[in-house]
Amino acid sequence: MAYLEMIDIVKRYPGVLANDHVDLAVERGEIHAVMGENGAGKSTLMSILYGLQSPDEGYIRFKGTTLLLQSPLDAIAQGIGMVHQAFKLFESLSVWENIVYRREPRRGIFVDGARARREVEELARRHGLPIDPQARVASLPVGVRQRLEILKALYRDAQVLILDEPTAVLTPAEVTTLFTVMKSLAAAGCTILLVTHKLNEVMAVSDRITVLRNGRVAERLVTAATNPAQIVRAMTGQQITLPSAKRPREPGAVLLEAHALVVEQQGRRVVDGVSLQIRGGEIVGIAGVAGNGQSELIEALMGLTAVAQGFVRVAGRDLTRGSVTERRAGGLSYIAEDRARTASAATASAIDNLAMGFHRAPPLARRGLLRPAAMRDWARGLIDRFDIKIASPETAVGTLSGGNLQKIVTARELAHNSPVLIAEQPTRGVDVGAIAFIHGELLKERERGHGILLVSAELSEILELADRILVMYEGRIVAEFARAAADERTLGLYMAGGSRA
Amino acid sequence: MTVTAISTHLTRRLGPLLPILGAVAVGFGVCGLIALWVGLRPSLMFTELIKGAVEGPQFFETVARAVPLVGMTLAAAIPLRAGIVNLGADGQLALGGCAAAVVALYLPAPDLVRLGAALVAGMTIGALYAAVAAAGEIFAGVPLLLSTWLLTYPAKGLCGYLVRTPLRDPTTAWPSTARIAVGARLGALIPGTPINQGFLIVVLVAVAVIFIDRRSSIGFELRLRGLNERFARYGGVALDRQTLGVMLASGAIAGLIGAIMVLGSQFRYTDGALTAPQYSWSGTLAALLAGGEPLGSVIAALLFAALQTGGFAMERSVEIPRVLTMVLQSVIILFLAMRGAIWRRS
Amino acid sequence: MTFAFFNATFFDQAVLGITPILLAAMAGTLSERVGLFNIALEGEMLVGAFAAIAGSHFGGTLQAGILAAIAAGALFSGLLAVGSALLRGNDIVIGISLNLLAAGLTSFLLRALFGVSGTFSDSAMQGLPRLTLPGIASLPLLGPALGHQNALVYLSWMLVVVIAVFLNRTPWGLRLRGIGEQPGAAVALGADATRYRFIVTLIGGALCGLAGLQLSLGSLTLFSENMTAGRGWIAVAAVMLGRARPLYVTGACVLFGLSDALGLRLQGEGLPNQITDSAPYVVTLAALVIVGLRRRRLNAATA
Repeated sequence: MAYLEMIDIVKRYPGVLANDHVDLAVERGEIHAVMGENGAGKSTLMSILYGLQSPDEGYIRFKGTTLLLQSPLDAIAQGIGMVHQAFKLFESLSVWENIVYRREPRRGIFVDGARARREVEELARRHGLPIDPQARVASLPVGVRQRLEILKALYRDAQVLILDEPTAVLTPAEVTTLFTVMKSLAAAGCTILLVTHKLNEVMAVSDRITVLRNGRVAERLVTAATNPAQIVRAMTGQQITLPSAKRPREPGAVLLEAHALVVEQQGRRVVDGVSLQIRGGEIVGIAGVAGNGQSELIEALMGLTAVAQGFVRVAGRDLTRGSVTERRAGGLSYIAEDRARTASAATASAIDNLAMGFHRAPPLARRGLLRPAAMRDWARGLIDRFDIKIASPETAVGTLSGGNLQKIVTARELAHNSPVLIAEQPTRGVDVGAIAFIHGELLKERERGHGILLVSAELSEILELADRILVMYEGRIVAEFARAAADERTLGLYMAGGSRA
Repeated sequence: MTVTAISTHLTRRLGPLLPILGAVAVGFGVCGLIALWVGLRPSLMFTELIKGAVEGPQFFETVARAVPLVGMTLAAAIPLRAGIVNLGADGQLALGGCAAAVVALYLPAPDLVRLGAALVAGMTIGALYAAVAAAGEIFAGVPLLLSTWLLTYPAKGLCGYLVRTPLRDPTTAWPSTARIAVGARLGALIPGTPINQGFLIVVLVAVAVIFIDRRSSIGFELRLRGLNERFARYGGVALDRQTLGVMLASGAIAGLIGAIMVLGSQFRYTDGALTAPQYSWSGTLAALLAGGEPLGSVIAALLFAALQTGGFAMERSVEIPRVLTMVLQSVIILFLAMRGAIWRRS
Repeated sequence: MTFAFFNATFFDQAVLGITPILLAAMAGTLSERVGLFNIALEGEMLVGAFAAIAGSHFGGTLQAGILAAIAAGALFSGLLAVGSALLRGNDIVIGISLNLLAAGLTSFLLRALFGVSGTFSDSAMQGLPRLTLPGIASLPLLGPALGHQNALVYLSWMLVVVIAVFLNRTPWGLRLRGIGEQPGAAVALGADATRYRFIVTLIGGALCGLAGLQLSLGSLTLFSENMTAGRGWIAVAAVMLGRARPLYVTGACVLFGLSDALGLRLQGEGLPNQITDSAPYVVTLAALVIVGLRRRRLNAATA
């Protein structure tokens, strides 16, 4: 009997069987990877283990006893902790307040702040996760925040630690540090479940692997006895084929230009003197760990954030003080990172979502009046062309899967046929088929002579698509490479702040 | 079309009405209980209410009341569609009515010109005053919900002062202006009833608002902003200009209603007379009931007009305080809001 | 303006004016910190004011009035608690409809229970007695204002401190703050967000009930229709200006209380009362604009 078992787990959602009789067995002190594509069922399985959801069938057995988890509270009480991909932190509170939240050491009816800070410091030192207890979370970089999340779980005596896509927000160097921490935790008896889709990391740090596909266990592997190709086959059920290689192109005129841009937020320079140029027919990729100013840079280019210094030129026109409307009219389109909250309206129909931005001109409108039939045809056309799985054009887009919603956003922005397209995390949380499709569309834009600014946390995506690669660190462009001259190791170094290595 | 197709179509159209009907039922139930608690008879109350709304000449009363009520509902619905709450309609109403009275009394011009100018003055003043609140939001981030509400007090105060001092007609007991000459009034539409030509104006405005909302690009932008403001901004909608636009429209309609009330039924501006019937609050409630959607808001307004007329008659005949209809309206909205049928928060 | 302009009466009226707003603002502060936008303060206050008079009249004693005010405020806010905390309905719609419900209900009950419309007053009814603090009451100018007030006024001052300490130094205050800032994170660590929101709303209702008590039984003993006259909304503005930090919110309330008293004083000097009545609202608006402009310049974040 294993240390931790999930036995015959079944979980149904309307229209989809997320977990289909899944079994999981983990030994004590093991680093166990749970792998699969987006939508394979790993997040659901882990949320059941953490008490966020109840299984429709099946149960969990931990150290011999069956667990009945009705909330994360129960899971924590049993010794199961989770570090989510999206951190759940209180920004305005301090590190120690975040860690001891709901387990506060007390002195009478008051919180014993001094003791809390002492305990946090000790815990951090013991596990090799140095942190300043008094720091305000809002001021912490992303890597330290993750440390904070791990400490939160350890403070609650977690014996099983679930890490959900932990390296998505880390530089390659920070990833190595994390692995060291994981190995030392495992050596001390902590059991770690690593949820990820990244092959090289799994190969580097895990002991065993459970691969999910379409809600079922596809394969159980021992890391030392397997290889990346075998894992991929298990995840996708087929050999992966890389999209066609790019033809080299001579870039055209400068379509988008930023010079010495500075964006300030709460006294800090989040964008610190960035200059760049996008020419027609080229894809410029910005590599960098999330939180180094990429989002703010894009927002400044699009007109969603004010610029403190510098200028932005679109097709030669200075639009530094221009509104979003003016910039879109000037030739910018933008696939936003947050597809649910920013790039779409969940309760609106596909027709409405796809019409946004086109609703003032022919063919969708004439002289300020909408043409409903034209709007419906427009939506149907885009739905067909992009193979979007949706019941009807009138359906609200909030019901769509992540991949399909991303296709809606991409379809709309591409339909503008703008000279410049800004694509921010265009394939995050999207299944492999849709990823290939979107990449193909971006390359087609490039063929048409349009310029693309691609921001992505996936280094592989940038290496695959970009002609030129910029690295952003702490608000500045610290390196620029032509594609041929770039490799993952060098890029990783600059992403972490190293230079002139 | 097959039977199943028709029934699915009807279910899709009428489905959203079910919670509203349920809320109305709950509202009547609660008011019935309150009536019982204070020793009144609910059955008597409801029969008098309904008779009072539609029986005989009461029907014309209801229609006459519907004119300002529908107007104020539209004034509330336009910003609400975009997710903005204008609680200052009372102030815009008063200023508009006062301005219309001043123009109709003192503009040196022939009667009909004075009438037209008075209507325009009412709209303009209402619009400009609403724009003040819009400016507060656009330049200083002061929420419109608060600024519009706060601004009603200086507005009502100013009109109250003007009508007591410079404009005072000493022959009246209650502070008001002089009577407006017959030629500069909005005449009766159906002789023998309280329905005046303002009815036509409001119908026109309602049709225009519904049309613009459904069929124009401006309406599209308004509706999408109400659904997701970030998306609208990201998609290129000029939010600040839109805020100013809806506030100007909202204030203009409120001011216009004030002018219509002064020129069509009261024939003078009397302190507090425009705000006493509380059309702006009923209008806001009706607009909330329909989530800012114009046609639904108008229908809700008609329902509330019937309720209020019935309430007056009920008070006259069986002495049940008509303010109970306000309770009824609030309970209906409250019930719907609690069930999350109105703009559930995430 | 001479020194006599700001006399003892002026400050006394200011303190009286501040108290109901302060109590409601504290209710609003707690709501805001737990993540709810409570604009039903106005209605809760009105219900409390009416219940105070009704309880005192039908119960015969001042204590009955006090209990009635607290109970009515809490019960009425229960509607908000259920709708907003429990069912996650839209705060603003529920708040507005509750305010209107309170106005309609109190006006209706005024007629139904007391047989009058407009105002009900009973000079024989006992209002809140004034206490005297020996050393402070004899201070020049501010003496009567600070040292000779009813218990509710002093309670409201203590409440500010209690709430500030509660929020910043106790475990439950920490959890409350976490729920308001990032409910997802708080729930993930096992905080019962719904329970906190529910309880905070009910406590807020009780506080607003006390605010209403101050209005109807605090100096004169009467109830007028809509006697809250927008004070609940000013409390909302105070919470906004003070960013839901108890001490800053108190500062905002003091500002409004002073401007209210200033309006009354100017009325005494002969200015028309329609203009002076607007004083607190205009001051509130001006404060919001000034603070808003200042924040805009500091942030420079959004175009």
